[in-house]
Amino acid sequence: MQTLTVALAQIAPRLGMLADNLERHHLLIEEARGRGAGLVVFPELGLTGYQLQDLASEVAMRLDDARLADLAAATKDLSVVVSFVEESADHRLFIAAALLEDGRIRHVHRKLFLPTYGLFDERRFFAAGDLLRATPSRLGVGVGIAICEDFWHLTVPQVLALDGAQILINVSSSPGHDLAATNEVGLGTATSWRTLMRTYAQLTTSLVIFCNRVGVDESISFWGGSEVIAPNGRALFSAPLFEEGLFTVEVPLADLRRERLALPLLRDERPELQARELMRIVAERAGLAPDSTADDLAEAGLDVAPGDPAPEPIGFRRGSVG
Amino acid sequence: MSAVAAVDGTVLFELPDELAIDTDVARKVIAQFIRGQLDQAGFERVVLGLSGGIDSALVAFLVAEAIGADKLLAVLMPYRTSSDASRSDAEEVVRRLPGASGEVVDISPMVDPFFASQADASPLRRGNFMARQRMAVLYDRSVTWGGLVVGTGNKTESLIGYTTLFGDSACAFNPIGDLYKSQVRQLAAAIGVPEAIIRKAPSADLWPGQTDETEAGFTYPELDRLLFWRVDKRRTDDEMAELGLSPEVVAKVDRMIATSEFKRQVPPIAKLGPRTAGVDYLYPRRRPGSARGG
Repeated sequence: MQTLTVALAQIAPRLGMLADNLERHHLLIEEARGRGAGLVVFPELGLTGYQLQDLASEVAMRLDDARLADLAAATKDLSVVVSFVEESADHRLFIAAALLEDGRIRHVHRKLFLPTYGLFDERRFFAAGDLLRATPSRLGVGVGIAICEDFWHLTVPQVLALDGAQILINVSSSPGHDLAATNEVGLGTATSWRTLMRTYAQLTTSLVIFCNRVGVDESISFWGGSEVIAPNGRALFSAPLFEEGLFTVEVPLADLRRERLALPLLRDERPELQARELMRIVAERAGLAPDSTADDLAEAGLDVAPGDPAPEPIGFRRGSVG
Repeated sequence: MSAVAAVDGTVLFELPDELAIDTDVARKVIAQFIRGQLDQAGFERVVLGLSGGIDSALVAFLVAEAIGADKLLAVLMPYRTSSDASRSDAEEVVRRLPGASGEVVDISPMVDPFFASQADASPLRRGNFMARQRMAVLYDRSVTWGGLVVGTGNKTESLIGYTTLFGDSACAFNPIGDLYKSQVRQLAAAIGVPEAIIRKAPSADLWPGQTDETEAGFTYPELDRLLFWRVDKRRTDDEMAELGLSPEVVAKVDRMIATSEFKRQVPPIAKLGPRTAGVDYLYPRRRPGSARGG
């Protein structure tokens, strides 16, 4: 396997200005091609901006939209990840990211986890996706695509890697907050994300590509800091915070094989064990099976019996001996 | 609590350790925020009420850093009893920002006729009225200067309600409204606001000798620390006590926060129709077609 040139389009999309953002995507795809890129990654909702609220339905595109076909047509001999509001045939709106390759839409990922807490309100405006699948690609290795909050759930990078992805791509519109002086790079959000990316790369022995936007929507500032992390958990590239740019990074794909042979974590994963235990937990939570880690008298779905004056730690049954 | 030193080695201000921010990152975020607000609205210029205090001085420096001082109009709006020191401090800020425009508008002729037959009007009424006259001047200059009015209120005064509704809190956007007073001081020192302005006791300058801290009954570093743990970190009564914060003061500040909640929100509209602004008609403030000239 040869070296892959990855282009990270750390842009500031214009909120609700689909035509402007489409034009910008076309220009940057050509610029990246000129710089030898094999893979170009744009951030979450790069075609529409993030804080859309009721504008979401007005900028939504069906997968057969001519504007998407035009973008796809620009991807001959190229892999490009773009993100937009997708309207399904039954008129649900999704935050989607599509892998465009050789003139067509190769794969679409619909955001699975929609943060609706703190400064986020995504569930009000969007439907959550139901599919988590890696996809083959013209790059010769499997690709797994996730969107922002998806990567705050361990399941996502793990399932994608088990499903054959060797390149994990996360596209984000991550708002920066927490300026406490004690943070690694002066921003709490960035510190957390940097930790996650390195951990996922190492634990899945995959190449992790993170593309985060910059710019401002309403009150929210997006911090950029896009990264490429090698399968050993080391950063190959870290883009500057808060600055727009098209950044290209040379990635030796042969490192994937070396790392997976040296550290066969994926080979040793036990998906059947995980699936079995998860099915048990699902059944117990639904009250369809006795909860093996709850008090004897606890009601279905609850861990602690009502009126228990001093509940013992969950997982240790009364009277049981270690 | 850490003492932050001035150039001459004396204490410039006290900074609660947990409130210390990375000022380089804050300046980047705020510069991007200011440029973004203007860009989305189709404006290039900013108008600001400059009082001579630290908040408006800091915002003037931040605006100059984000878009250049030549795009800034600083309006000094003294009342006849305003202190001379405030005036000269404000003028010093304009001098320190080469290219910035400064204008003085005396608001006494706007205020005095209204109260001429109401000699018993309380200082609170007079102060609120003055704040709203200043707002009216800024929004007029927003037209003549062709710029957005930038807010200069900080998080501390917003949370305790030490603001005048539709007065000093009125603005198109506010770059420092999520910074406590202690953090305003930290950022002001980092960006080069004159030390005399950072050092002096904060005052609404509504009557001679007035200071915020004597009026409120506690110092800003104490109040900021209390608000940080209570509001940002959601600490309970017991946990506040463990942090060394007096239950009486916590209770008093809790009341100030609760009674001023209305000042931090847009007025509710009676829900009658199918789609109601702020309820189920939710759009970004700026969107395609909303930019001036766009």
